Amino acid sequence: MKTFWVRGVNLVLIAALIIGYNTVLTLRDKDDQIAKLTAELESANLYKQAVLQSQDAAASGGAYTNGVWKGTAQGFGGDIQVEVTVEGGSITDISIVSAEKEDGAYLSMAEDIIPKIIDAQSADVDTISGATFSSTGIKNAVTQALEEAAK
Amino acid sequence: MNKIDIHNLTKKQRRQMHSWLRAAIQLLYFLFLPSAYTAAFAGVKYIFTQLGAGEKIGLTSFVSVLIVLCLYTIVFGRFFCGFACAFGSFGDAVHAIYVWVCKKMKKKTVKLPEKVTEKLTMMKYVVLAVIVILCFKGVYSQTQGYSPWDVFSMLHAFNFKLGGYLLGVVLLVLIMIGMAVQERFFCRFLCPMGAVFSWLPMLPFFTLRREREQCIKGCSACTKQCPSDIGLPEAGSMNVSGDCFQCQKCIDTCPRANIHCGLPGIKGNEVIFTIIRALILLGLFIWLGI
Repeated sequence: MKTFWVRGVNLVLIAALIIGYNTVLTLRDKDDQIAKLTAELESANLYKQAVLQSQDAAASGGAYTNGVWKGTAQGFGGDIQVEVTVEGGSITDISIVSAEKEDGAYLSMAEDIIPKIIDAQSADVDTISGATFSSTGIKNAVTQALEEAAK
Repeated sequence: MNKIDIHNLTKKQRRQMHSWLRAAIQLLYFLFLPSAYTAAFAGVKYIFTQLGAGEKIGLTSFVSVLIVLCLYTIVFGRFFCGFACAFGSFGDAVHAIYVWVCKKMKKKTVKLPEKVTEKLTMMKYVVLAVIVILCFKGVYSQTQGYSPWDVFSMLHAFNFKLGGYLLGVVLLVLIMIGMAVQERFFCRFLCPMGAVFSWLPMLPFFTLRREREQCIKGCSACTKQCPSDIGLPEAGSMNVSGDCFQCQKCIDTCPRANIHCGLPGIKGNEVIFTIIRALILLGLFIWLGI
């Protein structure tokens, strides 16, 4: 009887701690975001220039060819096939066409790498810890597709 | 062919039916849903990695598997461990092969003395603590290739690129030797997920219990049969041992049929209740998209 209640109270405490921790972080995030937005507003012009410059650089140098490019690479249990959409010389979308042998929980975790790749406009990003195999598979498949797009 | 009457089985037939049912459930889970235990534990690792990095803990797929399995265990006891965990089933198979070989060779099986096993039970908490601290410090990813679970999952997925996994392979082989000698060796002594489960406040409604007043004096058949050497709680008690895998082997060994795990009040519905629990778990897994 006693053990049951001790365990129960422990579990509630742990859950409360995690939820509390998350709430504090959310509040901090909001403050940070406000500060960041203000800073961004101030440097908006500089930022714009930087973007224009980088776009120029992209257009003249390593831009990708527009189109939908396919790539395949080894994941955890088998091949992962992806489609990379390139519009206006940059990566706009990445979708997983097939990943039959991957486990659901792992694959959905590994998909977090896709926004990272789109942000970086390159497949050279860190893999997702905990889902290393599947995210490495996605990364390598995108690399292959981008090689096609760069030709 | 003689017909089998379900309601008038001999003791031996009943025992056989129970062990076949358990083996069938284990085999199906092993073949089709082998990744739940690593996914749930990846949830634990993820939470501590995020805490260590000062990042938010999101409800990722790993965390959902962890939460759902913990809730299931609170309600039904460690049924997942006893019937659905791929690594636990693997251990049962290794042990069964060892016992079978010993029988064929007419040799006695080696057994660890109870004093040793009692101490080894604490090992799993050490394993959990070490992994959790490594995650918190953010250095867990450097131990890639050390985990015997990774090696096992890769072999299960027919992925044989085991270069860089030497330590993991060695550990897996050592664990397999332990699994052979001692039933549920890994689950009882080393499993970090089991350590988490054993701390949960498990409800006493659907777990194994015995009617103590009808016991033969001095009989401890159930404790001897139990892979965790548990003296079962009495009916009506709130105690559920954290090391009970709900494997139900004690049910068939009891000479007085005192042990039950079905719905309270209805006797002899263990088979149906076992199937129901397995189906509920299956439903949860499908819902989670494992």
